[in-house]
Amino acid sequence: MTPPPAASVAAMIRPAPIPDDSKINQDILYVMKGTSPGYWLLLSIALTFVGIGAAVWLWQIYEGLGIAGYIHPVFWGVYIVTFVFWIGIAHAGTLISAILYLFRAKWRNAINRSAEAMTVFAVMTAGLFLGIHVGRIWKAYFILPYPNQRGLWVNFKSPLLWDTVAVSTYATISIVFLYVGLIPDLAIARDRHSGWRRVLYGILALGWQGTSRNWKSHTRSVLHLSGLATPLVLSVHSVVSWDFAMTLVPGWHSTIFGPYFVAGAIFSGFAMVLTLMIPVRRIYGLENYITDYHLDNMARFLLFTSIIVGYAYVFEYFIAWYSGVEHEQTSFWMRTFGAYWFSTWVMIVCNAILPQLLWFKRLRTNVPFLFVLSVLINIGMWFERYVIIVEGLSTEHDPSAWGVYTVSWPEIGILAGSFAFFVTLFLIFLKLFPIIAIAEIKELAIHAKLHPEGGH
Amino acid sequence: MPEVDRRQFLKLAGAGGAAAVGCEPVERLIPYVVQPEEMTPGMPLFYASTCQECPAGCGLHVRTREGRPVKLEGNPEHPINRGALCGRGQAGIGRTYHPDRYHQPMLRGGDGEWHPITWELAAETLAAMISGAGSKVAILGGPTGPTLSRLIDQWMAAVGAGTRVVYEPFAFEALVEASRSVFGVASRPLFDLSDADFVIDFGAESMESWLSPIEHARQIEEARDVSKHANGGARLIYVGPRLSTTAGNADEWLPAKPGSEGILALAIARVAFDRARARGRPVGGDPALIGPVLADFSPEAVASQTEIPAETIRRIGEAIAASARPAALPPGTALSSQRAVVTTAAVLLLNAVVGAIGKTVQIVPGAASAEAGSFDDVIRLIGAMKSGDVEVLLIHDSNPVYSLPPDAGFAAALEQVNFVVSFASIPDETSGKANLILPDHTPLESWGDAAPRAGVRSLIQPSVRPLYDTQALADTLLQTARAMGTGIAARLPSGSFRGVVESAWSGTDYRKALAKGGVFESSPSGSPVEVAEGLAKLAFKEPQLEGEGSFVLVPYPSPHLYDGRGANLPWLQETPDPVTKIAWQSWAELSHAAAAALGVGMGDVVAIETPFGRIEVPAFPRGGIRDDVIAVPIGQGHTVGRFASREGAARGANVISVLPALTDEAGGRAWLTARAKVSPTGRFERLAITQYSDNQRGRSIAEAVSLGALADGSSQTPHVSSGSGHEGSKPGESHELLRPYDPAADAAAESPYRWGMTIDLDRCTGCSACMVACAVENNIPTVGEEGVLRHREMHWIRIERYLGDGEPTLRAGRPAHTDRETLGGVDVRHAPMLCQQCGAAPCEPVCPVLATYHNPEGLNGMIYNRCIGTRYCSNNCPYKVRRFNWFDYGIHQWPEPMNLMLNPDVTVRGQGVMEKCTFCIQRVQSARQVAKDEARPIGDGEVTPACAQTCPTQAITFGNLRDDKSRARERAREGENRAYHALHVLNTRPAITYLAKVTRDQGREAAAPRGGGGGSRAPAEQGDDGGRG
Repeated sequence: MTPPPAASVAAMIRPAPIPDDSKINQDILYVMKGTSPGYWLLLSIALTFVGIGAAVWLWQIYEGLGIAGYIHPVFWGVYIVTFVFWIGIAHAGTLISAILYLFRAKWRNAINRSAEAMTVFAVMTAGLFLGIHVGRIWKAYFILPYPNQRGLWVNFKSPLLWDTVAVSTYATISIVFLYVGLIPDLAIARDRHSGWRRVLYGILALGWQGTSRNWKSHTRSVLHLSGLATPLVLSVHSVVSWDFAMTLVPGWHSTIFGPYFVAGAIFSGFAMVLTLMIPVRRIYGLENYITDYHLDNMARFLLFTSIIVGYAYVFEYFIAWYSGVEHEQTSFWMRTFGAYWFSTWVMIVCNAILPQLLWFKRLRTNVPFLFVLSVLINIGMWFERYVIIVEGLSTEHDPSAWGVYTVSWPEIGILAGSFAFFVTLFLIFLKLFPIIAIAEIKELAIHAKLHPEGGH
Repeated sequence: MPEVDRRQFLKLAGAGGAAAVGCEPVERLIPYVVQPEEMTPGMPLFYASTCQECPAGCGLHVRTREGRPVKLEGNPEHPINRGALCGRGQAGIGRTYHPDRYHQPMLRGGDGEWHPITWELAAETLAAMISGAGSKVAILGGPTGPTLSRLIDQWMAAVGAGTRVVYEPFAFEALVEASRSVFGVASRPLFDLSDADFVIDFGAESMESWLSPIEHARQIEEARDVSKHANGGARLIYVGPRLSTTAGNADEWLPAKPGSEGILALAIARVAFDRARARGRPVGGDPALIGPVLADFSPEAVASQTEIPAETIRRIGEAIAASARPAALPPGTALSSQRAVVTTAAVLLLNAVVGAIGKTVQIVPGAASAEAGSFDDVIRLIGAMKSGDVEVLLIHDSNPVYSLPPDAGFAAALEQVNFVVSFASIPDETSGKANLILPDHTPLESWGDAAPRAGVRSLIQPSVRPLYDTQALADTLLQTARAMGTGIAARLPSGSFRGVVESAWSGTDYRKALAKGGVFESSPSGSPVEVAEGLAKLAFKEPQLEGEGSFVLVPYPSPHLYDGRGANLPWLQETPDPVTKIAWQSWAELSHAAAAALGVGMGDVVAIETPFGRIEVPAFPRGGIRDDVIAVPIGQGHTVGRFASREGAARGANVISVLPALTDEAGGRAWLTARAKVSPTGRFERLAITQYSDNQRGRSIAEAVSLGALADGSSQTPHVSSGSGHEGSKPGESHELLRPYDPAADAAAESPYRWGMTIDLDRCTGCSACMVACAVENNIPTVGEEGVLRHREMHWIRIERYLGDGEPTLRAGRPAHTDRETLGGVDVRHAPMLCQQCGAAPCEPVCPVLATYHNPEGLNGMIYNRCIGTRYCSNNCPYKVRRFNWFDYGIHQWPEPMNLMLNPDVTVRGQGVMEKCTFCIQRVQSARQVAKDEARPIGDGEVTPACAQTCPTQAITFGNLRDDKSRARERAREGENRAYHALHVLNTRPAITYLAKVTRDQGREAAAPRGGGGGSRAPAEQGDDGGRG
C-alpha cells in the first residue's frame, strides 16, 4: 500500500478545521464519559447472550459434545468454523497497527486503536472455542508442552499444536501491542479523571510524563513490536490453515491455503473494523477523526483482498478439475451443488461478487452501503469456513461413510454467545479506554499544521 | 512459623495430592476369601453350551470372567457352526443381562397390579389352578431340547393336562411333508453344500435365516473358494423377488414372480430331465413317473408365469444337469405360500432329477424333528381357547401375541383363558397378558440339551449363577407337580432338571460331553431314495394370494431380529440390516418405479393395507426388487421392551399384523399369502441408514476381479505383493515415488510382530456377525435410533455394501441414498471396514497430545486417558473408522445389570474420547502372557480378534505379517493376484490386505428378466452400469 500523498494526509481530518489539542482530548475522551440507556440496553442484551452461551457450554460439558449437531464423519462443525472466523477477524488489527505502521500509512491512526482492541477481543473469543470444541475440556491442558513426571510430551507434528502455539503467541503480542500503544493516551486519561479511573489509568500509564525520553522509548517499542507482529499476521492464519491443508481431506489438502486464509482473514478483519467503527463514529460523533477518507481506504483494502479471495475460490475449483483426482472433483462438485450449496453460494456472492461494487468511488464513500456490505462480508466469511470445514469432511474418501451435518440449537447458542462476548468486551473497552489513539491523532494534527501545503 | 523439614513437606504435599485425587471415584478390589475351584481372577474360563437363538443349534463356548459370562463364541468342535456364530448368537449373551428381566415370580392381583411372590406360593397357585382345570390345561411354547420336551410331555401326562402345542414361527413343516410326498420318506432333508458345484437357492435365504444359516454360508463359501477351485467353484443362483443378502452373494439372480419358484424348479428339472434321458442317465426315479409330471413345464411354457425368459431357464437347466454335485434349496419363510409343500416338492424333485440326492442332499429317515408341531395345531389351540376349552394356558419360549397375526385371534382367545402363565424371563407382549409370571432362567443360566439334527447332540449348561430369583421351566413344572401331591410327583423324576439332563445323557461320557459341548457323530448319510408315487398326486400350481391390491406383500425374516425375538437386544437393533443398512426401524422395500408411481421417496411413510390389517411404514425405494412386490422385514413393531419398543409405543411396524393366519398343505405357516394396497400417507420418517451411498465411485474400496482375469493373470485390481513387492499395477500408473510397500515393514525393527489381516471379499457374505461380536467383545455401546439417525453408531467394524465399481459421475450422490441396484444385477460387494492399522497412518501425526500413536508392533494405539477429544484423527482418517464418545455412553448405555457383561479386559470409554478398532489388543496381550510364560513367541493362530473368530465364512484372517508362514500371509499369497489395499492411492500402507471379490462367469450373457423389471435389462454382472430400475 502506497502511503497517501501528504495533501490527503492533511485532508484526512476534514471537513472540520483541525481541532486543537484539548478539542481532540475532549472529543475522544467524551466517548468514555457517561453511559446512555442505549449503551446499557446493548450491554445487557450482549450479557444475556453471553449468559446463554455460557449456560449451553456448561450443559455441553456436563452432557457431552453430543448435544451439538455433529454426525459421523463431520467431526468438526460450527465451533471450529467460528474459531477460524474469529482468528480471521483478529488479523485486521495487527495488519493495521503493525504493517501499516511500518509502511507509514498514516491514515491508519484513526482506526488502529479500535482495530487493535478488536484483535485482542477476537483472539480471546477464538480462544474460547478451543475449549468449547474439545471433548474433554478438563484435560485440555494436555495440549500444553508442560514438563511433567510422566514424561508425556506433546506431538510437535500436529498442526493443532502449532495452532495452539501460534494463537497464544498472537494473543500475547496483540495484547502487548495494544497496551504499549495505549500508554500515552492512558496518561491523558489519567490527567483528566479522578477517583478509581485516575488510579487505574495511573497504574496502567506506568508513570508516563510525555518527556521526549518517554516518547523515544515509546516510538522505539512500537516500531520493534510492529516488526515482531508483522510476520505473525502472515504466519498465524497460515498455521490455522495448515490445520486443514496438512490433512488428506479432499477440499482441505491444498497448497494455496496459507495465502488464501491470510487474505480471507484480512478481508474479514477489515470488514469487522468497518462494522464496528461505522456505528461508533456515528454515535459518538467521531466523523472528524474517522473520515470518509478512512472508509474509502478500508474499502479499497476490502476490494483488494476480495479479489485475492475470489481468485482463491476460482483456483480451488480449477485445481480440483485440473488434478484429475476424482475425490477432489467430487468434493467441489458437492460443495457447489450438494447439500451445502446454499452456504457455498452465500460465500461466493458475499465475498467475491458483492465487494466488486467497491470499484465505484461513490459506493466506497457511501457509509450505509459500506456498513451493510461489511456485515454481508462477515457473514460470507463465516460461511466460507463453514463450507471448507463441513463440506470437506462431509464427502471424503469413503462414499459409504459420507454424511450431512446440520447446525444444532446449542451450537447456535454458543455462536451467538461468542458474538455477544465480543461485543461485551468491545462495549466495556469503549467506556474504559480511548477508542482512537489520541496521541497519534495529535501527531497528525501537528504534522498538518507544520506542513499545511503537504510534504513531510 | 514452624520450620518445615523435608519430611513434613512431603507429608503435606502428599496430603494435598491425595485431596486433589480424592474426587476420582474409588473402587475397591475385594479378593476371594475362598477362591472357587478352576477360577483364577483375571483368567477367562470357558463353558461349552448350545445357542438358543434359533433352531439351528450352534455350539457355544461361553467365555466367563470371575463368574460372569462376557462373550459367546462358537464351539470350534461343533459340527454345525465350527467355531462361528451369527450376529444373533453373539447378541444372545444380552438376554442374561437384560435390564428388563423379571426378578422374581409375580402374580397379577385383583387390582391388575403385579405382586412379587415366592416360588413356593407360585407353585402352589399354579398347582391349584391346574388341579381345578382338569384336562383343560394347555402348554404353548417354542421348540425345546429333547430332554425338556420329554419332561414336559411326562409332566402333562402326570398332571393330566390336555394339549401341548409346539409353536415356532419359522418352521419347516413343508420340507418334511414335501419329502414324504416326493420320496415317501418323512424327513427334513440335510443339505451339505461344502463340495457342491452348483447351488440354486429358490428363496431359501440360506445365508440368513433358513435351516442352519452359518453352516450353509460356510459350506457355500468353501465350495466357492477360488484358491481350491480354479474354475471358481460352485455357482450360486438365487431365485427370489428381492436382492437379499443371499442374492447379493449369488452369481446370478433370477427375480422370478413370487410364488412361481416351484414352477420354475420344474421347468429347470424338465430341461435336466430331457438332457439326462437323451444321454440315458438316471433321473432320480422312474422316468415314467417323473416325465408326465414335468411334461407341462417346458421353459417356454413357464416363462410368462415365472417372468424368467425361457432361454435363461434352459441355460440354467443345462448347467445344473451338467454339474456333478448340484443342489437346489427350497423356499424359506418369505416365499412359503399356501402351496409351500408343492413348491418344496418341486425343488426336491429337481434335486432328484439332477442326481443331488445322496450327494448334496441327504434324506435321512426319521430326521424330521418329531417334536415340532405345526401351525395348524396353534390354530386349533386358539379355537379351543375361544370355545373355553382351555382354562389354564402355560406359555414358554415364545411370544405368540406378537408373532401370530391378529387374524388368528390369539389375543382375543387369550381373554377367554381363565389363567395364563408365562415363563418369559424378559417381558414381552404375551407375558404382559399373563396372570402369573414364572420367570425362566436365560439360556446361559440353564441346563438342557439340543438335537439340531441327526448325529448331533448338544448340551446346554449354565455358565453363571442365576442373576435373579428365577427358576428353570422344568424345575417349576416339577415343583408344581410336587405341590399337586405325591401321587403326581411320583410319576415324574425326582430332583432337579439338572439331574434329568444328566440321566438323559447316561449312555455317554457325560463329563466329556460337557467339556466338549455334546456328542458329535459324523452326519448320517441318507438312505438312497427314489421319487415315489406320491409325486403324481401333487398339483403344481401357483399359490393364490389373499386380497386385492397391486403389490405382492413379501414379509421376510430380518437377518438380525429373526422372528422378532432379537428385537429386544440392542446390539441386534443397532447392527444395520445387511442389505438396506437401516437400524432400529421398519421399512418397506419397493422398486423405484413403484415408488415413483406412488409419488413416494426414501422415508415417505406408506400405508400397506390387506384385508387383515393396515400398517404404516417408511418406504425404501431400491433397484433390487420387483416392481410388483413390496417387502417388509419381520421382527419390528414390538410394543413391549426397553429396546424393542419406543418407550411403550411400537418401534416400527409389525408386518405380521397384516397377514392372514393361513397354512400350507401340511399345516405349516404360510407367509407369502397376501396382496397389498399401498398408498402414501403424506408423513415422512427419517430412516436411520448407516450407509450414505453404495456407489464407490471407482475408488477401489471394494474391488472385484473376474474369474477370467484371475485365470489369465490380467487382473485389473491394484494388487499388492504379499512380500516385499511393489505396489501399483494399473496400466499407466506409476508408483515409483511410493516406497515399495511391504505390510510387514511398518513396525519397529526389533519387533517380531506386525499384526495384520487378510480379508477375503469373495468370502464375506455381509452377514454382519463380526459387528455384533466386536461390539460385545469391546464394550461398544449402542446409541439407539436417535444416535444412528445422526450416524453416531460406535461400531469399530462395519460392512460397506457397494454395487460394482461405481462411477465417478458428479451427479450421483444427490439426492442421497439412491442406490445402484438393478433387477437381476448381483455385483454386490461387501467390504468389512475397520481400522486399517496403517503403517503411514494419517491419524497419528495430527493428534496434538499423542493419544494415538504407532506402537512397536505396527498397531495404531489409542490411549483413551490421553485423548482430549479434538477429533482431528477422525477427520484425517480416510477410512472413517474412528468413533467418538459424544455422550457418557459408558454410563448411560449400560444400565444395570448390563454393566455386568462388560469385558473386564477392555476399557469402558468415557465421554469425550475417540475410540476405534484395536485388533482386539487385549487378546494379543493375553496370548503374549502365555507365550512369555513359556518363553516363546506368540504362535500363529493364538490370537484371533472377535470379528475373525466369529466369521461364519472365515473371510477374515488375522496374523503376524512378519511370520511368513502365518495364515494371514498365506491367504494373501494364495490370493496374490486379487490382493489390494483399500484406497491405496493415499499411500497409507494399511495392515489389512483385501482380496477382491471374484465375479464368476463374466462375459456370459446373463438373461435379463422380462417382467417387472422397469425396463432394466442389465446383464447380471453389469450391476455397475448405473441404471436404476
